[in-house]
Amino acid sequence: MLKKLSIVAMSLAFSVPALAEKEFENHTNMMDHGDGHLMDMTGGMIMGQNTDVLPGGCDKIAATKEITVHAGHKYAKKFPGRMYSFDVQEYQFEPCTKLTINFVNDDSVRHQWMMHGLPKYLYPKGMFHMELTGPGKISGTLIFPPGDKTYLVHCDIAQHMEKGMKGQLKIGKGSGDLPSIPGVTSYVIQDDYWDKSEEAQGLSDVIVEEVADLTEAVAGNDSFFSGLTIIGLAIGLIIAPLLARKFKDMSVGEIISYIFELAQSGISLVVKLISWLVSSVMGLISKK
Amino acid sequence: MQKKPLRMLLSSTIIFLSLSTQAVAALPKSVEVDRGEVEAVCNENNPDWRVAQTIEGVDIQESLRCSPDNPYSVAAEVKGTNNLSMEALMNTHYAMDGIIKKNDMDGDGDPDLIIIKLEVAELNGHSPDFNGFVPTFDIAPGIQPAMWVFAPKSRGMATNSFVGVDANPLLRAPSPVIRVEQGDTIWIQLENTHYFPHTIHLHGVDHPWVDSSGEGNDGVPQTSDKFVLPGQSKTYEIRPRVAGTFAYHCHVQTHVHLAMGLVGMFVVEENRPNNWVQTFNVGAGQVRHPSKAILEEFDSEYDLHYHAMDKELHSIVQKYNDPRLIAKKMNREYDMTEATEDYHTLNGRSFPYTLRESMIVTEPDENIKIRMFNSTGETLAMHTHGHKGTITHYDGVLHNPSAQITRDIYDLAPAQRNDLKINTKDDGFHSYGEGIWIFHDHREKGITTDGMNPGGNVSALVYKKYLDEIGMPKGIGESPMQLFTKKFQQRKLPVWQNIDEWNSLGEPDSLNYVAPEASKPAPADVTPGSATVKVEEDNSMRNLFFGLFFGLFVYLAFVKREKWIAVISSFKGGK
Repeated sequence: MLKKLSIVAMSLAFSVPALAEKEFENHTNMMDHGDGHLMDMTGGMIMGQNTDVLPGGCDKIAATKEITVHAGHKYAKKFPGRMYSFDVQEYQFEPCTKLTINFVNDDSVRHQWMMHGLPKYLYPKGMFHMELTGPGKISGTLIFPPGDKTYLVHCDIAQHMEKGMKGQLKIGKGSGDLPSIPGVTSYVIQDDYWDKSEEAQGLSDVIVEEVADLTEAVAGNDSFFSGLTIIGLAIGLIIAPLLARKFKDMSVGEIISYIFELAQSGISLVVKLISWLVSSVMGLISKK
Repeated sequence: MQKKPLRMLLSSTIIFLSLSTQAVAALPKSVEVDRGEVEAVCNENNPDWRVAQTIEGVDIQESLRCSPDNPYSVAAEVKGTNNLSMEALMNTHYAMDGIIKKNDMDGDGDPDLIIIKLEVAELNGHSPDFNGFVPTFDIAPGIQPAMWVFAPKSRGMATNSFVGVDANPLLRAPSPVIRVEQGDTIWIQLENTHYFPHTIHLHGVDHPWVDSSGEGNDGVPQTSDKFVLPGQSKTYEIRPRVAGTFAYHCHVQTHVHLAMGLVGMFVVEENRPNNWVQTFNVGAGQVRHPSKAILEEFDSEYDLHYHAMDKELHSIVQKYNDPRLIAKKMNREYDMTEATEDYHTLNGRSFPYTLRESMIVTEPDENIKIRMFNSTGETLAMHTHGHKGTITHYDGVLHNPSAQITRDIYDLAPAQRNDLKINTKDDGFHSYGEGIWIFHDHREKGITTDGMNPGGNVSALVYKKYLDEIGMPKGIGESPMQLFTKKFQQRKLPVWQNIDEWNSLGEPDSLNYVAPEASKPAPADVTPGSATVKVEEDNSMRNLFFGLFFGLFVYLAFVKREKWIAVISSFKGGK
C-alpha cells in the first residue's frame, strides 16, 4: 500500500513539471556527424554546414555576412490567405559570400530553412538545411559558389511552403524570380474566389433550352395568325360586298341552298375535268 | 438453254451479295487495350527488414509481407527516440524528440513517463506552383485523395527523397496506432503543423476532463478545450487505469476532420513487469513487438483500421490554396448529409496495395490477436474466408467469456472496436486449413474503389506455405497484374481481357466500327401517330378559311353597325 501511494505521489510530481510548456532552446552544443551534418538530442539539426571549403571558381571569400531569419505563424499576418511565413522573403549576396544564418523558430512546432541547388560535390544532395523542432535558435554557415543564381529557401514540412513559408536568395544578379513568394510574386495556379465555374450555366440548363428549341421547330407554329390569315382576311373583305349584293333580299334558307348549288356545280365541273383527262390519256396510250 | 447465262449471272450476283452482306453485318472485333505501365507487384522489398531480429535489445518479430515495417523505426517506437543510439535513429525518419521514455517510477523495468509527439500532415495536398499533389500517398495505383493525418514527429523533408514527391514513410494514412501501458503517465503533445485548428479527443481512453493545470483535456472545443492553433502545441495528460482497444481523433469540425483522416487507434496494453510496448504502429497492421500480455496468449497481433472517403470532400483542399476558401468550401458548402463514400481503405490503402502491407501471415495451430476499428461513416460487415473468429472484446471491454460468440461476419458500428481471436487449428470450424483466405467488408461497395471491383478494403490471411519469397501470396487464380496499373484505376481496362483464346469478353473496337444498315423486319401493323414527337401540321388552309370568315364577319359588322349600336344601347340604358 505504501509502495502504491508513493508511486502515485511520484507520478503526480512528474506530471506537474513545466516540461509541457515549451521553452526557448538555444542549440549551441551540436554533435558533428561528418559531411557537415550536425545534430543534438533536443531537436536541432544542420545539414550541409561549410565554414571553410572554397567552392570551385572562388579565389577567396568575397564577403562574410550574417543574417537572422525568423520563422513562424505570426509573420504571415501581413500576407492574407497565408498561414506560415519567414520574417523576410528576399536576400541578395555577392558570389563567394560566406553566410552565417541565425535561424529562429518563434512557433511551438517544427520549422525548417532549407535551400536546394547548391553544388553537390560540396553540399550533400546539393542542400543546406537547418531545422528546429520547437521554439529556439540555431546557427549555420555556408559558402556560396560563383555565378548569378536564385536559390529557393523554404520549409519542407507538408503545406508550409504552399501556405507561405517561402523565400528567395539571390547570388549576384540572381536568375530571375521564383513564383509564389509572399508579397513578391504571384501564384502560378491562382485560387478562384468568385466561383466562376459555379456561376457559369450548367450543362443541364443548356440541354433543357436546346430541347425546348427543338420541340418548337418540330411542332411548327401552332398560332391562328400567319401570313395566310391576312390573305384570307383580305379576300373576305373584298368579296364580302359582292356576296352581300348577291344575297340581298334572300332568306337564310335560300342562301344555303344557293351555296349548295354552287358547290354541286363546282364538283361536277371537277368530275368532268378528270374524266376528260383520263379519256384523253387512254386515247394517247391506245393510239401507240 | 437460251436463258442459262442469265440465270448464272443472277445466281452469282446473289452469292456475291450474300457474302458482302455478311462482312457488313459483323459486330466490332475485340481489341486488346494496352495496360500501360505495370508496377512491380511488390515495390519496396527490403529483405533484411523482413526477418526476425533484435536491435539494441528490442526483439522484433518476423514480418514476411512485401512492405515490412522498418525494424529501426520499431526499435525507436519501443525504446523511445531518447534511448536509441544516434546510429540506429539515423535509419529512421523520427525526430530526436519524437518519443521520450523515462522514469521507471515503480521499478518494474519499464519506463513510466511516456511523451508522445504528434504533428498534423496533409497528404496529396495542393501546390500553387504546379499541377500535382505533394507529398503524395497513393491508396491504389494513381489514386490520390487529399488526407489529413496525425503523424509521429519526424525530421527532415516531408518527401521520401529529392527526386520524387512521395511522402516519407512516417507521413501516411491512417493516423498511427498509439500503444501505451496501463498505468503509465502519458503526455500526448499535439504540435499543430497544419493550417487549421485541431485538438485530440481520447475516445474511450481513461482521461481526466481537465489536466493538472486545470486546462481542458477532453479535446472538445464546445465544452473544455481551446483550439490548438497553427504553430502552437498542447499537451494532453493521461494515466489510463483500464486496458483495451480505444481511439483518438480531432474534435474540431469533427464531421469532416475525422473523415479527412485525423483519427487513429489507441491501445492500452495490460500492465506487466518489464513491459516495453511499441508506442506507434505506423500504418497499423502487424505489431512487430507485441506486449507481454499479448504474448502470453497469442503468437501475433494485428491492428486493422477501416476507413472510407468521399472523393468530393477529399478533393476540396486540392483545388484551393487559401485556407479561408478551403474552410468555407469544406464547412459551409460541402454537405455531409448528401455524401457518398467512394474509397474504402484498410490501414490506409485499398486493394491491391493491401496485399503489400495488411496481410495477416500465419501458420497452422496459432492464435492471432486482431484489433478492428471502424472510422467510416457506416456500419461495416467484416468477413473472414476460411475462418471463424471469436469476438473477445467490444469497444475495449472484455465480453463475458462464457457468452463470447464465434462467427464469420463481424459487424462494426462507426467508431466501434472489436477484438478478435483467430485460431488457425484446422478443425473445420476455427479454420478450414491452409490457403490464401481473403478477408473483407461484406457490404459489396466496401470491396470497390470508386465503385469499381476489385478494390476497397480486401486483404488476405495467408499461410506461410502460400507466400512467395518477396512476400506476395502465391495465388493460383487469375493474375492480379492489371490491378497494379493506373489504367485499371482510371477505368480504361475492360473487365475481362484475354480470359480466353479469342478475347471473347474483351473491349469492342467501337472506334473502327461502322454499323451496317439495320435489317428491316416484316412490316408490322403500325398505328400512325404513335410517335411521341409532334409532327408539323399544315395549318395554311385552316388559317385561310379563318381569315376569310373573319373578313366576312368584319364586313357584316361594319355594314350592320347601326343595328348593333341600337342593340347595345338598349342593353345599356333601355332607351
